[in-house]
Amino acid sequence: MKAPIIASLIVAGLASSVSAQAASIYAGEARAAAVCSQCHGIRGTSADAPFPQLAGRDADYLESALKQYRDKTRKSDIMNNIAGSLSDQDIDNVAAYYARIKP
Amino acid sequence: MKLIKKRLPNAVIAGVAAFVLPLAVQAASDDGQKMHQLFEENCASCHGSDHGGYLAPALNAETLKGRSPTALRTIIMAGSFDTLMPPFYGKLSDDNIRGLVSHLQKTPKLDNPAWTIDDIKKSLKVYVKDESTLPAKPAYQIDNIDDIIGVAARGKYGRGEGSRAIFINSKTHQKIGEVPTGTAAHIIEYNPANPRWAYVKTDTAEIFKVDLYSMQAVRSVKTGYNGPGIGVSRDGKYIMAGSFVPHNAVILDADTLEPLKTFELEGIDPDGKQVSSDSGMIIGTPFDDIFAIALENAGQVWVVDLKEGFPVTRITNVGHHLHDAFLTHGGQKLMIASYDDSIVAAIDLKDRKIIKKLEAGCVPHVGGGSAVVVDGRTLGFGTNFGDCDKTVVSVWDLDKMEVVKQIPVDGGTESPAAHADAPYVAVDIISKDRRARTVQLIDKKTLEVVKTLDVGGHAYFPEYSADGKFLYISAGYSGDEVVVYDSVTLQKVATVPMESPAGIFSHGRVRYMTRGLSPDELAQRDGNLKGAKK
Repeated sequence: MKAPIIASLIVAGLASSVSAQAASIYAGEARAAAVCSQCHGIRGTSADAPFPQLAGRDADYLESALKQYRDKTRKSDIMNNIAGSLSDQDIDNVAAYYARIKP
Repeated sequence: MKLIKKRLPNAVIAGVAAFVLPLAVQAASDDGQKMHQLFEENCASCHGSDHGGYLAPALNAETLKGRSPTALRTIIMAGSFDTLMPPFYGKLSDDNIRGLVSHLQKTPKLDNPAWTIDDIKKSLKVYVKDESTLPAKPAYQIDNIDDIIGVAARGKYGRGEGSRAIFINSKTHQKIGEVPTGTAAHIIEYNPANPRWAYVKTDTAEIFKVDLYSMQAVRSVKTGYNGPGIGVSRDGKYIMAGSFVPHNAVILDADTLEPLKTFELEGIDPDGKQVSSDSGMIIGTPFDDIFAIALENAGQVWVVDLKEGFPVTRITNVGHHLHDAFLTHGGQKLMIASYDDSIVAAIDLKDRKIIKKLEAGCVPHVGGGSAVVVDGRTLGFGTNFGDCDKTVVSVWDLDKMEVVKQIPVDGGTESPAAHADAPYVAVDIISKDRRARTVQLIDKKTLEVVKTLDVGGHAYFPEYSADGKFLYISAGYSGDEVVVYDSVTLQKVATVPMESPAGIFSHGRVRYMTRGLSPDELAQRDGNLKGAKK
């Protein structure tokens, strides 16, 4: 159980060229629970929900999408506001967390 | 459930009557009807068909007066963090959301819609016509049927695909069955006389009769619009269910779910006023062939004899705003919580009298309650919402009927779990911040908090497995899993994923009556009680 977690931490850390610190999936889980899970679920979305599944998505993709939402180059009334509350570190952590969840 | 707490100040009801006329005018318009329909389909199961609130706040002209329509629209779109309110963005169009806000701000709290015995009869659905075709034993591997733990999974939207009663083998922590319930499952009761039957009550007051051997619903009936009250008689022949909307209760044949008699819930409250009342807890007891039902607003407990005509004995002046209760002393004594007096009243179901009123912290919500025998004393544990500075778990000596201790805990609590063979009493902290993720463990002997578990989600409704070896806890709201701990080491041993889990109900409850008591003790007491059954 330990080994894959550490491996993915390292991978996530290397992948995100911007971040100074390695992403923490634990911090990511806490942030996801507080900010994202209401719509996207902590592990997966509800069968009834119209929101896209984040679990298992590529960490780089999640990171770039969140940053686009944050700087409003990608428009969404809801996501522009929500991503606006996240720091670079938050985005790394959240992306690393969802990327390693199996959908 | 924390959110069940519902207050209906009479001033609001009176004030609302003045708005009835404008409503009639408005309901006549097509748009009003469409919005009412949307409310019924998306909001009413939590906010109440009468707009008077249920698990969630009342939404009507009075309660939403002066609120910004933009802020209300935002809540509907994005949901409300740390509550059960889901985001409706993408499920409802923006026009519909704006329309709903405007509709809600114009609509008064409605009179109770009627739901008569004929409506109940007509709502009966039969899914399995011939029950003799059902398997004679469980269609899955299980050592003992008491090992079944049922979880009320609400589903994200309180309805739909995720709303299910989910049954787990508490030795393997594997799911053994899932029964879809349409709207959020709320309470699961088991038949004390026949182990195969469970009864699941939903937020919208449907009761499903579930065959635990084949893990399917065989029948269902709608007993009202909402309200959590349901009990099963000790002989397994009757079910009694009560509603917040409308103000009535019904006795059903537990086999066919056909209604036998309805009761209008009204009476003189402790202040001398004749009031119509919500149904609080309903409980069957191993002590006698009776049901006890609490009339929340009337502050009365009714004892209904299960014989011809179902006669009622009224115990009055029990308290202001009664809610839930638990049994002790072989089911002869009922400990019932009164929110507004912050007491628990002890009632003798034999003499049908109040024995004593005991201090119970602050807005007591005893959940299923717990009672444990320690050093020869039977101690009862009571949780309370703690809507004041005093956040304690009350411990009472149930023989002497006196307060033993008020144990300080981290916040408000709503459900204590105990088991005769487990060392700790678990209480769920529900205060609306990070503490909501936690459950605290109280040592039965020292009566001190010894550990805090970080469960995740909104952690609530702890429950021990029937063998006492495992502690199950819902990581509810958006936590989306049930977490299982070893009851001695308190190490996490398993997680069971599901959508928004809430109440957890062990089949073992039918054997120990109140969580924490030994089944042997109950059997012994039963033997000593004249006419009592095993």
